[in-house]
Amino acid sequence: MNMNRINKFHLLLLGSLILFSLSCTKNYDEVNTNKNSIATIGPSTLPFLFSHAEALSTVNNANYQIAQNLFADQYAQYFACEATYFGSDRLVINQAWVGANFNPYYTDVLPQLQTIFQNTDSASAEHAMAEVVWVLTFMKATDYWGPIPYFNAGAVAVSVPYDAQDKIYADFFHRLDGAIAVLKTHAGGNAYGSYDLIYGGAVDKWRKFANTLRLRLAMRVSKVDPATAKTEAEASVADGVMTSSPDDDGFVKRSSTGGDINGLSTMSDWNEFRMSATMASVLKGYQDPRIAQYFLPTAKSADPTPGKFANYQGLRNGLSVAQLTLSANLAAANSHQGQRWSSTGVTVGGTIVGSASYTNTPQNVIETAEAYFLRAEGALLGWNMGGTAQTLYESGIKNSMAQWGITDATAVSNYISSPNKPIAPGDYLNSPAVSDVPIAWSSDPAVQLQQIMTQKWLALYPDGMEAWADWRRSHVMKLYPAANSDNQLIPDPSTKWLRRIPFLLTERQNNAAGVKTGEAALGGTDNELTPLWWDKN
Amino acid sequence: MMKKTPLLCLFFLACSFLAFAQERTITGKISEESNKSPIPGATITVKGGKKTVTADANGAFTIAVPQGKLSLIITSIGFGTKEVAVGAETGTVEVLLSVDNKQLGEVVVTALGITRQSKTLVYAAQSVPAGQLTGVRATDNFLGSLSGKAANIQFVQGSGGLGSGATLILRGNRSIAPASGGNSGNPNNALIVVDGVPINNTTFTTGNNDFGSVQSSDGASDINPDDIESMTILRGASAANLYGSQAGNGVIVISTKKGHKGRTDVTVNSGIGFEKPFALPQFQNTYGQGNTGLIAADSSLSGASWGAKMSGQSYTNFLYIKDTYSPQPDNVKDFFKTGLSLNNSVGVSVGGDKTQNYFSYTNNYAKGIIPGNDMNRHIFTYRVISDFSKKFTLDAKATYILQVINGKPRTGEENSPVFDVYQMPRSVSSATAKNNYQTLNTFGIAAPANWPSTNNSIYQSPYWMTNNTFIGESRERAIGFASLRYNITPWLNIRGSVNLDRTSDEIQQKYQQGTLLWNTNAGGSFAVTDVTLTNKWYDLILEGHNNITPALKIGYHAGAIYYDRLYNQNNASTNGLNVANKFSMNFASNPATTQDGAEILTESVFGQANISWRDAIFLDASFREDWSSTLPRPYTYNYPSVGLSALLNELTTLPQAISLLKVSGNFALVGNGGIPFVTKSSYQFDQGAGNGSIQRSLTYPIPNLKPEQVKSYEFGVEARFLQDRIGFTATYYHSNDHNELVPIPLPVATGYATQYINAGNIENHGVEITVNGSPIKTKTFSWDFSLNFSLNRNKVIELSPNLQTFFLGGADNRTAQPEVKVGGSFGDLYGYVWSKNAKGQHQVQADGTPLTTKNITGSDLSYLGNSNARELMGLTNTFQYKRFNLSFLIDGRLGGIILSGTEMNLSFSGVTKNTLPFREGGLSLGGVDATGAAVAKTITAQQFWQTASNQRYGVGEFFTYSATNFRMREFSLGYDIPLPNTNIIKSLRFSAVARNLFWIYRGSSVLDIPGIGKRKMWMDPDMANGNGLFQGVEYGALPSTRTLGFNLKANF
Repeated sequence: MNMNRINKFHLLLLGSLILFSLSCTKNYDEVNTNKNSIATIGPSTLPFLFSHAEALSTVNNANYQIAQNLFADQYAQYFACEATYFGSDRLVINQAWVGANFNPYYTDVLPQLQTIFQNTDSASAEHAMAEVVWVLTFMKATDYWGPIPYFNAGAVAVSVPYDAQDKIYADFFHRLDGAIAVLKTHAGGNAYGSYDLIYGGAVDKWRKFANTLRLRLAMRVSKVDPATAKTEAEASVADGVMTSSPDDDGFVKRSSTGGDINGLSTMSDWNEFRMSATMASVLKGYQDPRIAQYFLPTAKSADPTPGKFANYQGLRNGLSVAQLTLSANLAAANSHQGQRWSSTGVTVGGTIVGSASYTNTPQNVIETAEAYFLRAEGALLGWNMGGTAQTLYESGIKNSMAQWGITDATAVSNYISSPNKPIAPGDYLNSPAVSDVPIAWSSDPAVQLQQIMTQKWLALYPDGMEAWADWRRSHVMKLYPAANSDNQLIPDPSTKWLRRIPFLLTERQNNAAGVKTGEAALGGTDNELTPLWWDKN
Repeated sequence: MMKKTPLLCLFFLACSFLAFAQERTITGKISEESNKSPIPGATITVKGGKKTVTADANGAFTIAVPQGKLSLIITSIGFGTKEVAVGAETGTVEVLLSVDNKQLGEVVVTALGITRQSKTLVYAAQSVPAGQLTGVRATDNFLGSLSGKAANIQFVQGSGGLGSGATLILRGNRSIAPASGGNSGNPNNALIVVDGVPINNTTFTTGNNDFGSVQSSDGASDINPDDIESMTILRGASAANLYGSQAGNGVIVISTKKGHKGRTDVTVNSGIGFEKPFALPQFQNTYGQGNTGLIAADSSLSGASWGAKMSGQSYTNFLYIKDTYSPQPDNVKDFFKTGLSLNNSVGVSVGGDKTQNYFSYTNNYAKGIIPGNDMNRHIFTYRVISDFSKKFTLDAKATYILQVINGKPRTGEENSPVFDVYQMPRSVSSATAKNNYQTLNTFGIAAPANWPSTNNSIYQSPYWMTNNTFIGESRERAIGFASLRYNITPWLNIRGSVNLDRTSDEIQQKYQQGTLLWNTNAGGSFAVTDVTLTNKWYDLILEGHNNITPALKIGYHAGAIYYDRLYNQNNASTNGLNVANKFSMNFASNPATTQDGAEILTESVFGQANISWRDAIFLDASFREDWSSTLPRPYTYNYPSVGLSALLNELTTLPQAISLLKVSGNFALVGNGGIPFVTKSSYQFDQGAGNGSIQRSLTYPIPNLKPEQVKSYEFGVEARFLQDRIGFTATYYHSNDHNELVPIPLPVATGYATQYINAGNIENHGVEITVNGSPIKTKTFSWDFSLNFSLNRNKVIELSPNLQTFFLGGADNRTAQPEVKVGGSFGDLYGYVWSKNAKGQHQVQADGTPLTTKNITGSDLSYLGNSNARELMGLTNTFQYKRFNLSFLIDGRLGGIILSGTEMNLSFSGVTKNTLPFREGGLSLGGVDATGAAVAKTITAQQFWQTASNQRYGVGEFFTYSATNFRMREFSLGYDIPLPNTNIIKSLRFSAVARNLFWIYRGSSVLDIPGIGKRKMWMDPDMANGNGLFQGVEYGALPSTRTLGFNLKANF
């Protein structure tokens, strides 16, 4: 063997190895592309983004418990917590969880809506509907925290500044005014078709929805900015809010497919919350037929027939760990959420009472009854709401009944004229009746407002998010003080109450500079006691 | 081409060493006397001459010698010197060398299958004799057998029963890289290399939080210890550098058995083992089911054991049946079965002159301690080595593994059978629980019977879980290689090999109608996941060695590797079945399917050279360049290593007592190309939301992704004394992991949740010491020992300007939150604590219960400790007396904490022993109120433990233990049965073995609670919920087991 041969042979070999390696990087880009996703968005895929934004803006099942149920739903006193370990019902905010009402709006809703904004004509119905969903989404966030990142949201930066709530609300009105004007030009039209999970793309219904949302926001600012409130409210009613349940009601479709389950249904078998004593006091006191829709008789009741008031039981919000372990306060001794959110594993007296389709139960977004109660309140304020406070109040009740499938006209009219008042709920703490507000329209204007707010609270069920915001804004309807507070800032829950959610710890960690601007915009200490801009109580 | 210069230099260097004389040529082969295996690297000298050659990796040599009779002197480290007479006409010689124990010179298999004499290495390498892996076996995962046997191994077993994935970490944690490409196992796992090629060792799912999960098998658990011929642990990056990206974690190099020339061997090994739970929670047996000291009016409602003193009272139990209220001390123990493992293997080695064959078949059958959990594994291996021409050698092997695991228990808090059984009220008998877990409806469909759950939305009868739910995993795996070697000259060869490792798993989960949490729709729920992982590895390696002068020798390798990892996953699931409990997708009422997949291509070229001078000074250098598909253009990065060692005993005259003194040092870089798909943005499809929905990925792309880099250096000293009767090694190492690929959170208002960045500097440094000795050695009695000790210190020096803390899993603050924090250490755990005032006094609330930081909104989590051991050690003693062999291993760790979520949750229910004192009140914690004034109020045990525990979301500090422990890890007593020389059986050994025999020392709880004191750690910190990054918290982990077994090994 001679040296030259080896040399050449190996040079050739090594050279070819290196070339082989270099030339093979040609397909690297393709190798490093995820075959199970798509790289770019076009007209055919845009409607799917709208579906995603709608599904997530309405608090989906993955977020429902920690975004809403453990906080707003309990603070609105729809439900009381059964689990000893959460603590939120005793007014301690777990800041790791509550981000579920914040993070998905920015990461799941915002990118899709901004992509739609960029890829549609601003005069199109598609664009306008996306604007409405935008307002619906960020309303939920700002009503928990006050200042939130808003005007600069969606820009990639190491921090995103927060904006003051008044500026955000001004933008809400601006966007809604614009969207409503655009939707008007598409009367009778359809956008997104079946990709719209609320109205199947019906533009006219979206216009009513947008007006009702604008009316809701107008009422929210009625104490802090009465002039804007009146203008926006009257414009909404004039343009047309929801008037007829169930046709106008806004429900978002839910289904088992892809796990897009109704959030309340998801929690059916967790047994971590039950009917609150407040609900028990009002529903049982009013002999309210909606009780059979809202809740189930306690599991221990021998009789599974819905609507027998004695078989429903609620517990007070804020029970201590020790109190919760007592038999009267166990989940089995109190009322489960209603049949439409209950799995077939839920039994009363040994009989299965759940519904096989419970995961697909549509989820409340905004309903007609609320529009009437908002108008009734507006009428009391002297706004032109197209009716008297009393007729609007009574229409609100009728529409709420209709929404829940209670169509017996006599029963409904008997209810409306009933002098019934809330009663002592018969709970473990022997609580008194939560209030003495009757159903039948009172002649006393002070009572009238309480009546409107009580019925609105009942009608909004199970949307604790709106009910809690509305309660903080109006502070008219009476709720029980939390039985115990573990929150050091609220030693006595009968004199102080939660006004907001403190800024997220994750935001302090990941967006520290942004939170600083939020603190400035809040105009008070970043804790649970600082009222939001629209909270003048 | 500029970057290729080092490679080309090597090549030219190699070529310049050629020197030939025109004399006759003698070829030969040097083998070990006892087993005929080739001895590489022996030095062959012509007696009286200057010519010296070195035998190649197969022990073959060629030497040009003068005409006429002469003698060759053959020397090799670790073997005696031998003189062989060669006749004038002889062209070939066979030389047999016998092991010279005096020299204790090991031959180790290093990176890429390169065999080296251990004394020539410039880095730490430790071998574990194959016999130590097949004696006392770890049932769940064979890697467990390494605990305590080599320095600086931290082993943690994932808790999914038989065949579960595990974590084996060498020299500490360095990477926080996220799960990707079908692997959710710990990114710090050592790389496992079998026959020169990294095997797939991924874990598909594991518990990366304290809620729990299905713990999958990993790839290492299918390795058949019976097929292992040698195992070397290369802890440092320098040693492993040639393996490229994954080698920063160190490598376990395994060579498997092959046939030997001219020999036929049959080995039959048969073992049986029995297992019992080793570390169960300690239960109280005084108070029964009930609350506040009373028997509950309705026992079906709550399963807490805060009831009355049990004295055989009559009461109505949870089934509304009159029962006796009496202690049931064994109601938990009775749930567990005695585990059984049967291990049978046969290995046949047939070696002809040209072709050697090895065939083995192993069957492992095991029944776990959880009812219904069993595993059946068949491993077939065939290997052939054939010199089919003078120049060509073929080495090919195929291994086929078929493994079925049934009844895998879920790990964690939710729906894990052990966590369910632990919560049984202390007054409920095993028989009552076992016979009444279900009721059948008129169609024969099971429904859960009343069960005294401590939380009836999550915890179900353990008997329901083991009888009416099913998790199974079936695996088919084929590993094979074919390697062809061509000897260009006696000192230069080239080999090319193709390797394939394909694992196909099918994981089925069946939950009957009525199972909590997992099926929300009627009929039950069912999921099938198919995961396929294919590793393809092709390499071409040029290997050579030359003696430049008799004193100066060089060995070198250069080559290229093409490595393709492909992962594909198909899921089909249904929440709801149209026919109840009919587990087939044909019956699905809500079928859903998803797909996932990823591919990583890496191409590499490398060069390596080792130069020795006078067999006393050794210089190693290597260089590798990778092209990785995960990186942006031009995809490339490179990394070198260099090391130097010197045998001082060869260079100078040392006192006679010192038989060997070696010093070494090395420096290395190892790169890692990162994870796929992060350089570009993408949109994902979801099946939900009507017609399905599309969303933008939450991860902001990193178009300028850089490779991760581990930089390390180490220094070592090795010495042997008194004719090698005793020796030690000591190594100091230091490594920094830079440019880690870290998913940092972005402000969500950007529209993205995370962004990958290259950031950070995580440092590990430490010391490893091993001591080996043979204090007694006589004809009939010998005593050998082997001691290893290591300490590792870890520091997070830097993350990024935008990231000071990185959270690893478990983010719900239920127990503890692992945080990687600048200035802290990997493994730091943070949690809620018993609040203290500025003076350090514990605070209590007005009712006398402890004030915890959990009660204070927005309070930061406090540091609880670090989950990693500070020091690790193991001591093996082996005694041989005539035909008896006794060996035992004591190992242990110092430092680190373990937090028991299990005890936290159980304490809420009053079932554990710690809840016994102060049941009737009178516990004064001696704490102070907000003003600093002492609070005299006393409380009951129930008040105390329910406050501390809070059940599922607790105050971690109360349940944190020092994980320091020492145990009798292994024990074996063997007897070589005497056989007549004429017997067909050459040797026959019977042994009795045991594992996890007893604790020698265990740590205690960190809090000394006034009135209650410290509690001894009851759990085994080696048993973790999962084998991912979430470590230091056990929550519903399976108890580890004690094994007793018998083994019979026959050689024919």
